[in-house]
Amino acid sequence: MSTDGDRSRRAVLKAAVALGGASALSACLDRTDDDPVPTGDPASKPPRQHAWREYVRHDDHGNTQLPAHQILLYLDFDVEGPPTDGDREALAASLSALDRAYAWRHEGLLHSLAYSPAYFDRFDASLPEGIDLPEPTALSPFESPTFDRQDAVLHLASDRADVVLTADRALRGERETANSVSVPPLTEVATVASRRTGFVGAGLPAANQDAAGIPDSEPVPEASPLFMGFEAGFRGNQATEDYVTIESGPFAGGTTKVIANLRQRLEDWYDEQSEAERVMEMFSPGHAKNGLVEGVGDNLGSSSGIDRFVDDLVDDAREHGRVGHAQKAARANRDADGNVRLLRRHFESTDDIGSDQRVASLHFPSLQRRISAFEAVRRAMNGTDLTEATPTIRQRVNNGILEYIFVRRRGNFLVPPRRHRVLPTPRPE
Amino acid sequence: MKRRDLLRTGAALSGALTLAGCSKLMETRAAGVPPIPEDRPDGVYVPSHVEGMEMVGTASSGDYVVGLMYSYPHRFWNVNGESVSLTEIDTDDAVHLMASVWDVDTEAVLPDTGLSAEIYRDGSLVSQEAIYPMLSQPMGFHYGANFGLDGEGTYAVRLSVGAMSTRRTGAFEGRFADPATVEIPFEYSEAAKEEIEFRTLDDRVATPGAVDPMGMEALPDSFAPPESTLPGRVLGAATSNDARLVVTALDAPPAGIDAAGTYLAVSARTRYNRMVIPAMGLSGRLERDGEAVYDGEFARTLDPDLGYHYGAVVDDVESGDTLTLSVTVQPQTSRHEGYETAFGGRMGGMPDVTVEVP
Repeated sequence: MSTDGDRSRRAVLKAAVALGGASALSACLDRTDDDPVPTGDPASKPPRQHAWREYVRHDDHGNTQLPAHQILLYLDFDVEGPPTDGDREALAASLSALDRAYAWRHEGLLHSLAYSPAYFDRFDASLPEGIDLPEPTALSPFESPTFDRQDAVLHLASDRADVVLTADRALRGERETANSVSVPPLTEVATVASRRTGFVGAGLPAANQDAAGIPDSEPVPEASPLFMGFEAGFRGNQATEDYVTIESGPFAGGTTKVIANLRQRLEDWYDEQSEAERVMEMFSPGHAKNGLVEGVGDNLGSSSGIDRFVDDLVDDAREHGRVGHAQKAARANRDADGNVRLLRRHFESTDDIGSDQRVASLHFPSLQRRISAFEAVRRAMNGTDLTEATPTIRQRVNNGILEYIFVRRRGNFLVPPRRHRVLPTPRPE
Repeated sequence: MKRRDLLRTGAALSGALTLAGCSKLMETRAAGVPPIPEDRPDGVYVPSHVEGMEMVGTASSGDYVVGLMYSYPHRFWNVNGESVSLTEIDTDDAVHLMASVWDVDTEAVLPDTGLSAEIYRDGSLVSQEAIYPMLSQPMGFHYGANFGLDGEGTYAVRLSVGAMSTRRTGAFEGRFADPATVEIPFEYSEAAKEEIEFRTLDDRVATPGAVDPMGMEALPDSFAPPESTLPGRVLGAATSNDARLVVTALDAPPAGIDAAGTYLAVSARTRYNRMVIPAMGLSGRLERDGEAVYDGEFARTLDPDLGYHYGAVVDDVESGDTLTLSVTVQPQTSRHEGYETAFGGRMGGMPDVTVEVP
C-alpha cells in the first residue's frame, strides 16, 4: 500500500493543482493520515442511492455531519436519442467499479447519479404521473439563474479529499485506477459539462475564507461548518430519507433533487451586522430576543426550535424590522402532520462557475419526494407577503439572508433507486 | 467650485496634504468632505456640501429602463424600522454608484423594485450587492451604494431589477412583474471623477431648506405630481416632519383595486423639492361626527396618473369629515445628508396630521 499510496497521493496533489480547484487542493492538503481506504462490495450497497445518513458521522445530538469533501460532475451523454445497450454497459461498468473501489461509508465514497428532465426528453415515453420533475424555474421575483439542463449529475462525497479527487480523476479518464480498482472512465459515454467542488464541516470554511465575498477580517469561526457562521441541517429540521423517498411506481426507492448554486456576499453580513442581528436574520428575532443561539449554535442540540416562531413573522417584521430565514422557510417546510418535507444537503465552495476566481459560494442540493415541495419552501423564503405587510422588510433587505445570497444556477433531477441508476428509461421495468 | 480647486485650497493650507498627493486624497477622502453639520434641525435642512453626478449610461430590458450614474463616495444614513444609522465612507470606496429605474413606456420612476449590482472587470467579479433605495435633495429617489474598484479602467456593471411587489393600478396593473438584468459599461478614471462638481455651502448650511434638484438629460425626475395636476378632488394637505401629504379623492378606485367606493390617495413628497417619498407605512382614520367611517391601512401603490402614493377605499367622503393620517413606519429609504433628520429620522416617528374635508 505504501508505494501505491505515495504514488496516488502525489498524483492526487498534481491533479488538484492541474485542475486549479483551489478548494479541492486545500482539502487535499488536509489529508494527513495514510490509513487505507476501505474497499467496497457492490452487493452490499443500499438500494437507495440517497441512503447516506446511516453511513456518515453524526454529532453528539444525532445531527448528520455530511461528508467533508464533495464533487458534482454535470454530465451530457454523447448519444443522441435513447441510450443503447452499449452505453448502459459502459456506464454500469464505471459505477460498479466505484462500488468495488470504495466502501459505502464516509471514509469510503458515497455517490449518486441523478437525471434531468432534459435527459428524459430523449425518450418518446413520459415519466410516470407520480413523478414530479419539472424543468427548473426562477423561484423568486428577483433572480434570473442559469438553468442546469445537463443530462445528469454525479455527486461524489467522502470525508477524505483524496478519495473524491481520485474517483473524480478516474471517472474523467485522467487515471486508470481508484483505490487499486480499475475504473473505466465515464468519458466513454459522457462529457463532463461542469465540475464543481466543495467542502463542509467545522474548520473547512474558516480555512477557505480567503475568497471574494468574505471580508478580509476572516470572520468565519473555526467551529462553523458553513461560511455564514452557524450550524444548519439540525436533525429535527430535516426530512428523513424515508420521507423524501418515492414510494411507488418504477422509481420507488428514488427521490428528486434540486441543486442550486448561490454566490455569497458576506461583507455586510459580518461587518454591518451584530451577532444578535445575524441570529435574527438566520433564525428569527425570537431566537435573538431569547438568547437561544450561542456561538455557531451547537447549543441548539438536535433542532433549531424554529417551529415556535413561525407564527410571529408579521409581528417580528413590525417590531424588530427583520425576519428570519429559517422562520420564513419553515412555514412551507411542514406537511399537515408537521413533518419536515425537505432533506437539505448543502455544502460550501469557493467555485465561481465560469471563472477561475475564488468566490464564496454554496452548492445547495435538496432532496424531496416532489420538486414542488422544494419550490414552495423556496418561495416562502422570499417573504414577499412580509414586504407587503411593512416597508421595513424589503425585497432582499432585512428579509432573512436574501441580501447576502445570489442564486446563479439551478437544476432539477431525479435520483433513481440504485437498480435503475444506469441510463433509465422513463418507465424502467 | 470644482472639487479639485477645493482640494488645492486645502493643500495650500497644509504641507502634509501636498505630500500625500491629490489622487490619494480622492480615494481616501482624507480631505474635502466637510463634517456633518452641527445643530441640524429636526427636518429637511441644507447640507454641508453638494456633489454632482455623472451619467454613465442607460440600458433597457423588458418593462424597465435603468440609468447608471456615479459620483464621489458619499456618506449616507440607512433606515431600518426606527433606527437611522450613519454609513461612513470607507477608505476603499472609489465611487458612489447610483441607479434609477423607470418605465420604458411612460418614464415613470419606479421607487420600489429592489435592485442589485454586480461589477466585473475583465470577467472577474469586483463586487456584488443589493443596493439600497435612497433619497437625496439634488436627485430625489434613486438606488445607491459606495463601491471600491480595482483602479482605473473599464468595468461592466450589471444591474438586476427585481419585480415589484408594490400594488400597481391603472395601466401599471400587471406590469413590472418580472425581474430583468442590464449591463452598462463604466469607464472609470480618477481624472474624470474629479471633474464632477463638488461645492460646499456656507452660511445656509444646517438651516431649514433644501438645495435645488439637479436636472439631468436622459434621466426622468422623481417629483410627485403637483397638487394642481393630481387626479380627483384634492381635499387638502398637511405636513408631518417635512413630509408633505396631499390627499385627493377619486370617485372610484383605479383599475386593479377590487373594491367599490371612494378612493383616497395620499401623495407624499418632500417639503421644498416635491420629491416622492416612498416606502412608508401609512394608516388613516376618517371620522364623521366623531365616528370612524374608515380606520385602516393606506396601501403603497403605483399608478400612472397618481404616481407613487398610499391609497385606501372608503365608502364615501363628506364635507366636514376629518382624515387623520398616521405614519406607522417612517420612509424606509436611506437618506443623503439633509434628509436624515427629517421624516422621522431624528424622532423615530412622525406626528399624526389631520386634513379637514372641505
